[in-house]
Amino acid sequence: MTGPLAPGDIPDEGDVIKLIGVHRTFDSDPPVHALRDVNLTVRRGEHLSIVGPSGSGKSTLLNTLGLLDSPSSGDYWLDGVRTGALTDRQRTALRGSSIGFVFQSFHLLPYRTVEENVMLAEIYRRPRPGRARRSRAERARAALDRVGLSHRHGFRPDRLSGGERQRVAIARALMSEPALLLCDEPTGNLDSENTLSVLDLFDQLGAQGMTLVVITHDEAVSRRATKRVRIHDGQLSQEYA
Amino acid sequence: MRHRRRAVAADPEKKAGRPWIAPRDLWTEAVAGVLARPLRSALTTLGTVLGIGTLVITIGVASTAAHQIVGRFNALTATSVTVEVPPPASDTVPLVDWEGIAAVDRLAGVESSAALAQTDELAAVQVRTNDVVTPGGLSGQTLAVAAASPSLPAAVRGDVTAGRFYDGGDIARHARVAVLGDQAARLLGITEVNDSPAVFFNGHSFTVIGILGGFKREQRLSTSVILPPTTARDRLGLGTVNRVLINTSLGAAQQVARQSPVALTPNSAKALTVLAPPDLSKARKGVQGDVNSLFLVLGLVSLIVGAIGIANVTLVTVMERVGEIGLRRALGASRRQIAGQFLMESTTIGLLGGVIGAALGTVVVVSVSAVKDWTPVLDGRLALGAPVVGAVVGLLAGVYPSLRASRMEPVEALRAPS
Repeated sequence: MTGPLAPGDIPDEGDVIKLIGVHRTFDSDPPVHALRDVNLTVRRGEHLSIVGPSGSGKSTLLNTLGLLDSPSSGDYWLDGVRTGALTDRQRTALRGSSIGFVFQSFHLLPYRTVEENVMLAEIYRRPRPGRARRSRAERARAALDRVGLSHRHGFRPDRLSGGERQRVAIARALMSEPALLLCDEPTGNLDSENTLSVLDLFDQLGAQGMTLVVITHDEAVSRRATKRVRIHDGQLSQEYA
Repeated sequence: MRHRRRAVAADPEKKAGRPWIAPRDLWTEAVAGVLARPLRSALTTLGTVLGIGTLVITIGVASTAAHQIVGRFNALTATSVTVEVPPPASDTVPLVDWEGIAAVDRLAGVESSAALAQTDELAAVQVRTNDVVTPGGLSGQTLAVAAASPSLPAAVRGDVTAGRFYDGGDIARHARVAVLGDQAARLLGITEVNDSPAVFFNGHSFTVIGILGGFKREQRLSTSVILPPTTARDRLGLGTVNRVLINTSLGAAQQVARQSPVALTPNSAKALTVLAPPDLSKARKGVQGDVNSLFLVLGLVSLIVGAIGIANVTLVTVMERVGEIGLRRALGASRRQIAGQFLMESTTIGLLGGVIGAALGTVVVVSVSAVKDWTPVLDGRLALGAPVVGAVVGLLAGVYPSLRASRMEPVEALRAPS
């Protein structure tokens, strides 16, 4: 991993994600090869869907992309940073700053208001110029505005519909201005109507230039993406348009 | 090769910074966590409330009671030393003679002293103001007769309210003069001495030259006829010193009490009995020691129980909030920040318990004092320090649950429902 890099292995400016020969093996008996020689490039502004049945290595790929898990071998470049060489703290910081997570189960804190949930995305980072602590609530409102929920800012999550909750979670993910929105079965807990509203929101965000990676087993969700990848037995199969 | 890598690869430190949380945000998150389950948090504080409350009450009541007991020893009693002289065996020299008190006066810390002679035979004497017995009139008053050094007014901290006290000259002349205690004078109807009234008893007459009042000690002298020692010895056989009154400066009483018997009668100092005020600091400590030890143990046990309670509930809370921990890790919280948040929550609960406990304890101490009519004495450091102790208890209780929380792997944690 630390050896000389072939010229083609170096991501270019427009690559948000570049996986090069990534393997992930779990040391069980027998060993499980969750990812085998995965190569993947996601360019800025792309809307990629990763489809696969359960047990295909989808979750491992998501965890790897989300810096929640490390590859056993191979290189993962995220937004120009080679993640294999990072310490745990650096990975944590990069995760907080570069990736916006959207989960199937929303993961909203039930005892905080919608606005407080959104603001949570910023508390683990040192305030930067133009993003002072004082104006955090304003930015949270702006993020809620982007998902069309600014009128719900004072509500607690349990008073929102499933679709609204997921949109709050998306607002929280947008709050930290991530390089990548990483969505894990974002519509898995939603009915068809709410699914549509979330997918429409993804389309809007894609149109605004946001990089989206959506992991799903739902073909309908996958069809909205501009680029699709199928994972089976830990291997990415053909990318088809 | 190198330059190409550098051209593309971003410095992760510069790009992402390090995980960091503002102290205010940490505090806000912790308080929100505590308030998320208000009833549970309130119940969790109970152990600390009881522990801190017991400690504050114990220490507060003990110091109040000690102050109360010590308060009875005012400056007067704290500086009064009395030496009792036993009567000498027959035909031997008295242990202390009238000039002996001069040696006491020379001791450091002695402000005044006087020797006193009183006997049982002369404790109740018929005293009249007129030698002529008037039929049907007052036959006289039953009073005590005593002999004393001329320094008596200072020694009893009294005032000569009329005339003068006898002096060395009167003693040297064996003058037949007497000074009346103010109560004796009132009983005898003598209010002033300008016309030289006389008193008669045991077949002797004495000219009253003064009235002594305002006794702060040896109050029984106020109903006595006080005579110069020489006169008393000549006329009444009252010549043996049986009591020496000493006043000391504040704080010197203990030392003077040890030294004065030796100064009065070097050869048989042990025969004298010294009445000295108790050592105040020892008295205070003694009282506090008695009250404290049992209840302090009780308070500490409550605190430990409280700490276990906080640890237990925090652990349950951590297990319930696994999903939240995963989310926070995904949002960029480091292990240290996760641990910090739960530590802060348990510390907040401990602090809350400490504040409530200290407040309740203070109220109880004041109430007990009010009921007993005491002056509440509570160390300000105790009232302010108790919440700190509560916070420390909470902090220690939170260590294990926080470590558990920080060790969770985000991947696992995110699988839990939030």
